[in-house]
Amino acid sequence: MEPAPMKHKPFCNIRNLHVSFHGRTVLQKINFTLNNKGILVLVGPSGSGKTTFLRSLNRLNEYYPGYSGGGKIELNLSGSMQDIHCPNLELTELRRQVGMVFQTPNILPVSIAQNVNLPLKLVTGLNKAERKERLIEVLQEVHLWDEVKDRLKENSSRLSGGQQQRLCLARVLALKPKVLLLDEPTASLDFKASHRIEDLLLELQDRYQIIAVSHSLRQARKIAGQILVIKEGQIEHLLNKEQFGDQEMFQKLLNDIF
Amino acid sequence: MNKLLNFGIYCWSWIATFGVFIVVGLLLFYLLSQGLPTIGKELFFGDAPVWEAIFGQVRVWDALWPACVGTVFLVLLAALLALPLGISSGIYLACFAPKTFKRILSLLVELLAGTPSIVMGLFGFALILFLRNTFLPDANTSLLLAAACLALLILPYLIFTTQSALESLSDEYRLIGPSLGFNQMQTVFHVLIPAAGRSILSGVVLSIGRAAEDTAVIMLTGVIANAGLPQGLLGKFEALPFRIFYLTAEYRTPDELGSAHGTALVLLCLTGILYSSAFALHKTLEYRWNQHR
Repeated sequence: MEPAPMKHKPFCNIRNLHVSFHGRTVLQKINFTLNNKGILVLVGPSGSGKTTFLRSLNRLNEYYPGYSGGGKIELNLSGSMQDIHCPNLELTELRRQVGMVFQTPNILPVSIAQNVNLPLKLVTGLNKAERKERLIEVLQEVHLWDEVKDRLKENSSRLSGGQQQRLCLARVLALKPKVLLLDEPTASLDFKASHRIEDLLLELQDRYQIIAVSHSLRQARKIAGQILVIKEGQIEHLLNKEQFGDQEMFQKLLNDIF
Repeated sequence: MNKLLNFGIYCWSWIATFGVFIVVGLLLFYLLSQGLPTIGKELFFGDAPVWEAIFGQVRVWDALWPACVGTVFLVLLAALLALPLGISSGIYLACFAPKTFKRILSLLVELLAGTPSIVMGLFGFALILFLRNTFLPDANTSLLLAAACLALLILPYLIFTTQSALESLSDEYRLIGPSLGFNQMQTVFHVLIPAAGRSILSGVVLSIGRAAEDTAVIMLTGVIANAGLPQGLLGKFEALPFRIFYLTAEYRTPDELGSAHGTALVLLCLTGILYSSAFALHKTLEYRWNQHR
């Protein structure tokens, strides 16, 4: 039961989003509507508010001290646009539907299987057999199954960085999200492991709406359907494939921006 | 200059480490050399037959057994009273308390931590006097009172270690729970506490050690020299540290001093056993948490 493809429908509508921490503005006057055209990659100088933007979409910013913010964000969650600040939408349910993978592999210090099982048990209420089934399904989805099928009870800290990151992805996918937020998912990985993750994201892009922050322009060009350039807390450009397809033009554009 | 400083620090660290080693080693050697020869049936049970003495059918005089049992009961009871309170207070302070309230509470816990143990004992004693003069004329110092005062003594250790263990987890780690759609309770109990478990345990171990060795508190709240095995929660009891104290303070023969050393060795072993069982318990819990659920 895969989530239905959401090609070229609007999936994100943001009006006047602004966020500040301890009175210091991080994002301001963000307005845009986005159609589903593959992976959306956010690029921009460090400190420009990319991660904060990402965290606005699952309301994780509210966990940080000194947060204040406002504006309206609508996401296409269950076939229709939904205001994520709507009191009818439980925060826990929003975060289940808008999954997030962090910069460094953020595993729980338990076994490989338990990393996927614990969230499943707490959030979905599936029974044991269904959880087992889902575990296998998602580990196959991230191509980790063959590597770990004989050592599911081993502590997950024994996995390599790339494997851990794929496990984190599997943990999120197990909850059947609609949107995936990835905060520089390959930042702590080597070249080869990064490539694997990138290929994986390209495979997943039809099933989930993916929004990723990237620090690498090579990576952005490889995986993106659209690129959103953020600078000093504001949206500078929204580039489509034609605009960043030509490397020279893309480089020139970025040089103008930064 | 910098190199010299580095070398100096290096040497000092070695000396300091070695110093600890030497001091602990000397202490152990002294205790073993003085105490080991006295260890035997005589030290534990005096003239009483062993099995009858163990099950309390025969009264043991001038020997360790009642004090061993007393100390074990005392520590377990104190831990039973203090652990749930201390650990849950620590969790509350670290994960739930509103900011200003947290500041006030932390101040109070620090105050409690700074209170000398003899004052805790005095407090227990005063409580009994108060109860006697008011609505419980039969109230007396007892095992329960001593354990409660000890619990009060070790409470701040437990609160501090639990709180700091939870607060020292990284921000990213704290976000795992919420980012997966856990509510706050689930995050605290399924993500944060298991990760902080080892540090929390070290607080438990420290406080158990502290409870086992304290003499000042129990001196005013129910320990006596020849109580025999503890006769229930409201009875008097004997305890190892108190026995060491009065043997060394009032010994009349070299043999008595020797048996004080033996007692010290036994106390050391007893705390060692308590430590390792706490450690084993933690291992089991960790194992169970790790299992496929």
